[in-house]
Amino acid sequence: MTTEHFPEQEYRRMIKMCLRCSVCKWIPQVQIKSQKYASCCPAMDIYDYHAYSGGGRIILALAYEMGRVKPSDDLLNIVYRCTECGNCAIACKYMNTLEPLEIIMKFREKLVKDGYGPMPQQKAYTEAMKKVNNPYNEPHEKRVDWLPSDIKVDPDAKLLYYVGCTSSYRRKEMAIAAARIMNAAGVPFNILKDDEFCCGSPVYRTGDVESFKVQLNKNLDVMESKGIETIIFSCAGCYDTFKVDYPLYREYNFEVLHTVEFFEQLIEEGKLKFTTEVPIMVTYHDPCHLGRTAERYEEWAGDELKLMPLVSINIPPKPKNIGAKGVYDAPRNILNKIPGLKLVEMERIMEYSYCCGAGAGVKSAFPDMAIRSSKNRIEEAEDSGANILVSACPFCSTNLQDGIKESGSKLKYYDISELILMALGLDPEKLIQATAGGA
Amino acid sequence: MLEKDILKEFQDVVGPEFIDDGDVMTNVYAYNWCTEFVNYMEGKEPIPFSPVPKAVILPSTTEEVQKIIKLCNKYKIKFKAQSTGLGPWNQPSTDNSIILDLRRMNKIVKIDEKNLYAVVESYVSGAQLQAEAMKYGLTVHMPGAGPMASPLASHTSMAGPGFTSPQTGHSARNVLGVEWVLPDGKIMRLGSLGQKNNPDWFIGDGPGPSLRGIMRGWVGAKSGIGVFTKVGIKLFPYPTDTKFVMTGHAPLYNFEKPDYIRAYVFDCKSWKGLEKIMLRVEEEEVGFIVSHISGLAVMAIFSYSIEGLMDKMALGVLKNPLLVVMGARTKREFDYKQMVMEDILTEYDLENIIDTKYVPEKVFYAECLRANLGYHGFIATGGFQSAKGQADAAALCLRAEKTNIPLKQKYIKKEAIANDFGEGAWMTSYEGGHFFHMESPTMFNQSDLKSVKGMANYMDESNKQDLIKHLGAPFFIEGDKLHDEWGPHMMNYHNWLRKIKAAFDPNGVADSGFYITAKKECENK
Repeated sequence: MTTEHFPEQEYRRMIKMCLRCSVCKWIPQVQIKSQKYASCCPAMDIYDYHAYSGGGRIILALAYEMGRVKPSDDLLNIVYRCTECGNCAIACKYMNTLEPLEIIMKFREKLVKDGYGPMPQQKAYTEAMKKVNNPYNEPHEKRVDWLPSDIKVDPDAKLLYYVGCTSSYRRKEMAIAAARIMNAAGVPFNILKDDEFCCGSPVYRTGDVESFKVQLNKNLDVMESKGIETIIFSCAGCYDTFKVDYPLYREYNFEVLHTVEFFEQLIEEGKLKFTTEVPIMVTYHDPCHLGRTAERYEEWAGDELKLMPLVSINIPPKPKNIGAKGVYDAPRNILNKIPGLKLVEMERIMEYSYCCGAGAGVKSAFPDMAIRSSKNRIEEAEDSGANILVSACPFCSTNLQDGIKESGSKLKYYDISELILMALGLDPEKLIQATAGGA
Repeated sequence: MLEKDILKEFQDVVGPEFIDDGDVMTNVYAYNWCTEFVNYMEGKEPIPFSPVPKAVILPSTTEEVQKIIKLCNKYKIKFKAQSTGLGPWNQPSTDNSIILDLRRMNKIVKIDEKNLYAVVESYVSGAQLQAEAMKYGLTVHMPGAGPMASPLASHTSMAGPGFTSPQTGHSARNVLGVEWVLPDGKIMRLGSLGQKNNPDWFIGDGPGPSLRGIMRGWVGAKSGIGVFTKVGIKLFPYPTDTKFVMTGHAPLYNFEKPDYIRAYVFDCKSWKGLEKIMLRVEEEEVGFIVSHISGLAVMAIFSYSIEGLMDKMALGVLKNPLLVVMGARTKREFDYKQMVMEDILTEYDLENIIDTKYVPEKVFYAECLRANLGYHGFIATGGFQSAKGQADAAALCLRAEKTNIPLKQKYIKKEAIANDFGEGAWMTSYEGGHFFHMESPTMFNQSDLKSVKGMANYMDESNKQDLIKHLGAPFFIEGDKLHDEWGPHMMNYHNWLRKIKAAFDPNGVADSGFYITAKKECENK
C-alpha cells in the first residue's frame, strides 16, 4: 500500500469529532476487572491532566489547527509525553470511528514539518541514526559484537535474522538466544552485519517521516539486493515497523515474522523439542508493537455510499484496525508448551495490554515517565502471582528491567527466547537462576 | 492566565505541578462535545470551544477543594468542577473561571456489602465501581452516558436515567450521605454523615428538611452549587452470577453468558399496546432492562459499525419495539421470570425475535450487564444528543415521543439531522414502573456546520414544544435564559432556585452557566 492511509482531510475531519467521553483513558469498558487496573494510558496515569489522554491530544491537534495554541515548549512537552502505545485507540474504536493513534502520529509529523518537533533528545538520536545507523550513537562496526563465534550463520540463506539496534547493542542476550534457537532447530539463517541499519522506528514515531523514509529505502534496497525471502525479528518495534509501516511507503516482496511466530512454527514442525523442565510461574507482557499496533493496514479501494443525509457507508466495509490481529497466541502457545512452566495472566492483556512505557521516544526524552509506567506494569505483574515476567521485545525488556530495579521488585525478567533456550536444555545456568525464585 | 501572586496561592494548595494556567492546557479544557451547538443556541460562533478557563487545577483532597474555593471567593474567580468530563455542562461560562478537574480524587472509600451502599470520590468511574461491587455480587446504577462516567457526578449533579433503571432507579433516588464543599468554602455533610457521633453514609436525610432536594433536585446543578467530593450511593444485587469471562478480541468478544440471562425484543404494534405492555412488564418486575427504543435503535444496539447496522434492516421495521433483558441468580428464579414473560407474550400475541429471527453477538449480553448499550448511539454519525428528557407517567412520555416525530421529520427533511424516521427514542421505567423517562436521541454531525445549526434549532423547537403542549420539563433546561422561559410556567420555581443560589453562593463564584445565577433582575420576572 503506497497510497496515503490517513489523508489530511480525514485528519481534519476527525479532530473535530472527539466526544470528550474519557473512554480513551480506560481499557474497553467490558474488560474492566478492577479499579486498580482499569486504566489504559501511561501518560494519563502519570500526569492526570486531560490533555495527556488520547482525546486530549485530539483536542490539542484541533486547537493547533485552529491557531488557538501556538508551538511552545508546553505544547511539545505534552505531545511527546506519549508512548504511542495505541491503547486509547483500541478503547475509542470499540464503538467509535475515530483514529486517535493516527491523529497523534500525524500531529507529531506536522510539528516536525513546521520546524518544532521532536524533542532535543530525540533530535540527537535521529542524528546518531543518520551518522552511525543506530540511535544509541554506538559505532556501526560494533553492531555484530554480540555474535558468539560458535553460532553458525549462513551467508547464502534466504532467511534473514534482522537483529535491530537494541538487541545488537543493549540486549545482546536476546540476539544470542534467537540465534542459538535457530541453530538448535537446524535452520540456516543469515544476518546482515555491516549492512544492517536502524529500521527507523525511533524517528518515525517522533514524526520525522522524511528521515524515516531514507532509512526504510536504505534497508529495503539491501534486502532486495540480497534476494531475502523471509525476515525474522526478535524486536517487536522493528517487526512492527517493517510489517505495518514500511508498506505504507514502499512495497516489498518478502515475508516478515517475529521470532515467536517463527519459533512456534518450528515447534509445530518438530524442529524444536522441549526436553527440560522449567518449573516457574510466569506472566506474559504483550508488547504494543507485537500486539495491537502490529496489524497491517489493508488496502481499501471501495466506495463511500451516501445512504441518506449525514449517513454514509463504505462498500465493501473499510477494514478497521482494532488490535484483533496482533500476535497474541504464538507467545502463549510457546509458553504453554514449556514443560513445568505455568502461565498466569495479568488483568490487562492482548489488545488492551498496558504499555511498558518506553516507546515513541519517551525513554530518551522523558526517562522518568518511562520508569513510572514500567513500575505500574511491574506491580500488575506481581499481582498476577507470577515471579517471572516474560516478554518478546528488547525495548520492553530494557524498560521493564529498569522498572524492576527501581521498584525493588523481586520479579525476574526473561525474554521468551531465553525460556525457550532453557526448555531446550541449552542454557542451564539461566535455568538455575530462573528456578531459584521458585514457582 | 492567573495573576502571578494568585497563581502562587493556588500552587501552595495543590503543588505547582497540579495547576496549569498556560494556553495549551486551558484550551484543551475549553473543548467539549456539543459545545458547538450550545454556543450557537446562545448566539455565539458554533465552535466546540467554550470560554477558556483561567487555569486548570487538580486537587487531591476535600481540604484542597475547600482551600481552592476560598481563594476563588477571595479573588472573585468563578470555579467549575468536573470529573470524567463528558458534555458541555463541564464547561466554564466565562473566562473568569478556573476548572477543578477532580481526577486525583479517585478512591472507592468503602463498599458496604451488607447495607448495600458504596462511598466513592469524584473520579471513580461507573465501570470501576461496578467491577469492585461485582466481587460482592452487587452492581451500581449507571447513567445512560455509560460506564466511563462518574457515579458521583451522576448522583449529585446530573440527570440520571440508565438502561438498568427498572432495577437500579435514577441517580437522584440513590444518593445517601454526601460530602459537599459549598460555594463559600464551608463543608456540608448530608444525612447520617452529619451526625456528631458515629457519622456514616447510609442515609442522605436527617430530621430537618431534605437538603438533597436543594443539592440536586431532578437534574442537578452541574457544579453551580458547589463541589461534591464524596458520596454514598446505593448498590443493588447483580442481576446474574458475576462470573465474567471474555475471550477473543474487541469488539466482538466471546462472552461466556451467565447461566440465567435472556433477552427479548418484540413489536408492541401500537402506541397503546406499547404503553400497556411496558406497564405490565414493569409491574411483573422481571427485567433489569426494560427499554422502548425505535426500530433503528434496535438495529444499532446489535451493531458495531455503520455497515453492520445497515445489514440489520429487518429489525428496523419494528414499529413500537420493546427490549427486555432479564437475569436471575437461580434456575427457579429464571424459570419463573421466563414463565411470566411467556404469559405476557401469549396474552398480547407478541413475537420475541431474539434467538428466533435474530441471534445477538455474545458480547451484547456483556454490554447489557456492564451498561455499555448507550455507546451504540454514536455508530451512525459519530455524534448524537438527546432532546426531551421527561420524567413522568408512561402515557405522558409516549405522548412526548409521538408529538416529537413531526418536528424531527421537519429537520430530517432539512438534512440537518440523520434520518431515523423521526422515531428515535429511548424510554425506560424507574423502579419497577413507578415512573418513566423518555428522551429523543438525535444523530447529527458535529463537524458539519449545517448539521450543528440544525441540531441547535431542533433542540430549541423541541423545548418550546414541550412547553406549549404541556409535556413536562426536558432535562436540559439549564442556564438563566431557559430557566427564565420555563419558570413562569412552572410555579415560578426559578425564583426559588435563585434564592437557593444566592443563599449558598453569596459571591456567585460557582460557575452557573448550566445552573442559574442569583441576579436580581431575574427574580422579579
